[in-house]
Amino acid sequence: MIEQYTITTTPKYNFPHPTTDATLPQRLIELSLHSLKTAVNNNHFQLNQQTIQQLFNNSQSLNIKLTPIPLNPRYDTTVVAAVDTSSMKIGETATGTLIALRGATVWKQKGNYRYIRFGPFILHVTEENKTEVYNALQKAYSKTQLESQHQSLQNFQIPTRLANLLERWLQTTLSKTLTGGIILFDGSLTAGTPDTPTSLMKEILNNARMRGNIVLSFSKMTTLRVNGLLITDLSLEQKPPYILEAEGLKTKPPTVLLGEVYIAKLTSGNYAFRLDIDKEIPTEQRIEAVERLLGNDILTQGYPETLRLAHILCTFTANEVIAMQHFATHNYGLKIVNRPNMHKLLFGSFGKGENTS
Amino acid sequence: MKLYKKEGNILQILSFPNETVEKGDYLLIEDSDLGKALIAQVIDVQFASIPGILEELLRSLPDGGELIQGEDIDPLEIAPHITYIQDASLLVCKIRATVEGESLSPSSSWLPSRSRSTIKKLPIPTLLKLVKVGGKLPINIGGTKDSSLLTIDASDLDGKLNIITGKKETGKSHLSKLLMLNLVGYKATVVVFDLNGEYLSLGMTLDGKRNAYHDKIHVLTPAQNFRVPLKHVNLQVLLGILIHALHLPGTSAREFRRIWQSLKDRDMLNLHELGEAIRNWHCNQHVRDALFSRYHALVNSGFFTDENASTMLLEECLFKAKEHGGAIIINLRNTSSIDRQIVVEYVLGKLVELLTSWKLKAVFLFAEEAHLYLRETYWDDIVTRMRHFGIFATFITNQPDTIRENIYRQADNIFLFNFTNEHDLEAVSRAARVDAETVKSIARELPPHHCLVLGKVVKDFPMVVKVKALDVKTMGETRLFFKEVD
Repeated sequence: MIEQYTITTTPKYNFPHPTTDATLPQRLIELSLHSLKTAVNNNHFQLNQQTIQQLFNNSQSLNIKLTPIPLNPRYDTTVVAAVDTSSMKIGETATGTLIALRGATVWKQKGNYRYIRFGPFILHVTEENKTEVYNALQKAYSKTQLESQHQSLQNFQIPTRLANLLERWLQTTLSKTLTGGIILFDGSLTAGTPDTPTSLMKEILNNARMRGNIVLSFSKMTTLRVNGLLITDLSLEQKPPYILEAEGLKTKPPTVLLGEVYIAKLTSGNYAFRLDIDKEIPTEQRIEAVERLLGNDILTQGYPETLRLAHILCTFTANEVIAMQHFATHNYGLKIVNRPNMHKLLFGSFGKGENTS
Repeated sequence: MKLYKKEGNILQILSFPNETVEKGDYLLIEDSDLGKALIAQVIDVQFASIPGILEELLRSLPDGGELIQGEDIDPLEIAPHITYIQDASLLVCKIRATVEGESLSPSSSWLPSRSRSTIKKLPIPTLLKLVKVGGKLPINIGGTKDSSLLTIDASDLDGKLNIITGKKETGKSHLSKLLMLNLVGYKATVVVFDLNGEYLSLGMTLDGKRNAYHDKIHVLTPAQNFRVPLKHVNLQVLLGILIHALHLPGTSAREFRRIWQSLKDRDMLNLHELGEAIRNWHCNQHVRDALFSRYHALVNSGFFTDENASTMLLEECLFKAKEHGGAIIINLRNTSSIDRQIVVEYVLGKLVELLTSWKLKAVFLFAEEAHLYLRETYWDDIVTRMRHFGIFATFITNQPDTIRENIYRQADNIFLFNFTNEHDLEAVSRAARVDAETVKSIARELPPHHCLVLGKVVKDFPMVVKVKALDVKTMGETRLFFKEVD
């Protein structure tokens, strides 16, 4: 029997669970519970509300075709879906860190936005178990061992790496379930990094392509420059919406670029974004995909609403952080100890925090 | 519950959704290490200021104001914790006393430990026992929120100034009747100025039968069964009526005094002779005119008479009440404004006369909407001077601003029903025995027939009570045009 992923337009949502591979969240739950239980013996943790954002961009120069490609919104009905994840360090124990992860898939269909949100998953990561946790999740995610150097994982990288694993799983699930839609990713289509192996990203893009989906990847921040100017700062006389094609972007092995890079200025105003579109898609279809996005999603400040919602829904609010700390305290007997911030202690109002140099 | 903040005598306590605390409830904040506890009353319940709550609410409404539909897969079940934090409330409490061992003091000068203190709800019966509310002459005025009875001591109304106030149809008159009947039950003498004829049938049960108070309720209706032979009127009382109720100028009052004295000397004090004496008196024409106009006002009131037979004397009723307790209801319904003032001046004058001569021990005076018949100067008189004679007033009004600020300052007990108007609450909050925050916060949300009791009867521990029903014909209901339609 051929595994079949169907999209049914139920009033609730159109991503049916029974056919979705639930391995990763299941493993996340197990790891979460296990790691929290082991933390009970070391039952103090320090509050530290600090989001570690996932950013990695190469500062590279490239050529831009200064001829803008004008876009006309296409209103033929297309489902627009987006994925985003968030991670946060919610406190410290005597031996490790409590990390919270959450992911969200949002889609717009028949004018309405719907979502599925996974998490929060809370993990207690210690120096001893960090490799084990990461490996376990990787294994759960992919049958093949990914080419990463997680042995040298730094503590501060853990939340981002774990969030990336969750994000790839959500992207895979989406690419396998949606048909004929536009899939929006956060970031670029760069692969070959420790947490985004080329094979994995290729697989995601292949899956999407096979079901008639096109992946558009929006980067909020970029370091790509043309003649010293950030590509998103380029201004043309062309009235938005338009895209500019970027050429000559070379990556250092093992990093590979699986998308064609564009600068997308989709609404008037000073907002332009780097847009990566699956390389394997013919140019006309790439442009058409952006036009279908314009016709089917709300674009505020040049950024798709679906992707914005995915980001908003997975972001942790201060209230949720308190609730997660309450959960850890209430369910696992962790006693919260607010260790003094040494920067504040030593430098008073001049101490800006541990991560500010 | 957790102690969060203390500013002056205001405590802020963090409360969680599983702890049901409402406005008016009492809390005991106990610091066992110090061996002391604070008694605080909740005067407001607010949402706790939780960081990130705005973002939380905003992100659920991104799609043109409609809730975004979706599903949360929350295997660790953290959502209930989020709701738990979001629904946390902040209880603003007023410190009422400190308990140290067995003793109670109004002090709030110490600080209980934030981490060690235990906070629990203080049941009203425990509080009543602790502060020793109630006594030898109990008056059960109704039930508190936790279904216990609130019983005050009648002696806490003795020698005191009481105010019953609240907006229309909240149950003020009902409470005043309850207090009045209980006082009568303890053989007290009660005089009621009944503006709307609400107290006339207190001697009857709801189904029209005679009740235990039937023989103790004496209804006096001016110009009907309550008429005063002129010769029984004291000159000072009559001068009070002429000057204060009928605004007779001083010069004319002097002439009246001479006329009165002349008639008295000749034992000719009656209405007819008084009229003739004024007509023939040698005096200025203007004075004569002034005296004549007042004379006609007295005659037209129908309150004064020359007949002895058809009248019921106030003294008789008061003496009867003195023995077994009783209420003299002065029915002022259908009485004109001037006549009302004449009657009230007469009754108050007579009471002072009887009390100063120790013919009466003391009188509880219940005055409904007193501003409609009590002259300005009488307020202070009743509250200060007459109190020493033994007139203990209870004012009942739905217009708290008609009672002057100095009266509120001296009020010993306030029975406060619902008010929503800020101006009205402002007026009441001037009372010395009450803090403005409590009045404004609790009184605004009192349901009908619920009353905030403040003052000596509750030992200065404000309490909300649902006034109990009475099995008497109260007749205080508003007459309705459309009543039959239903």
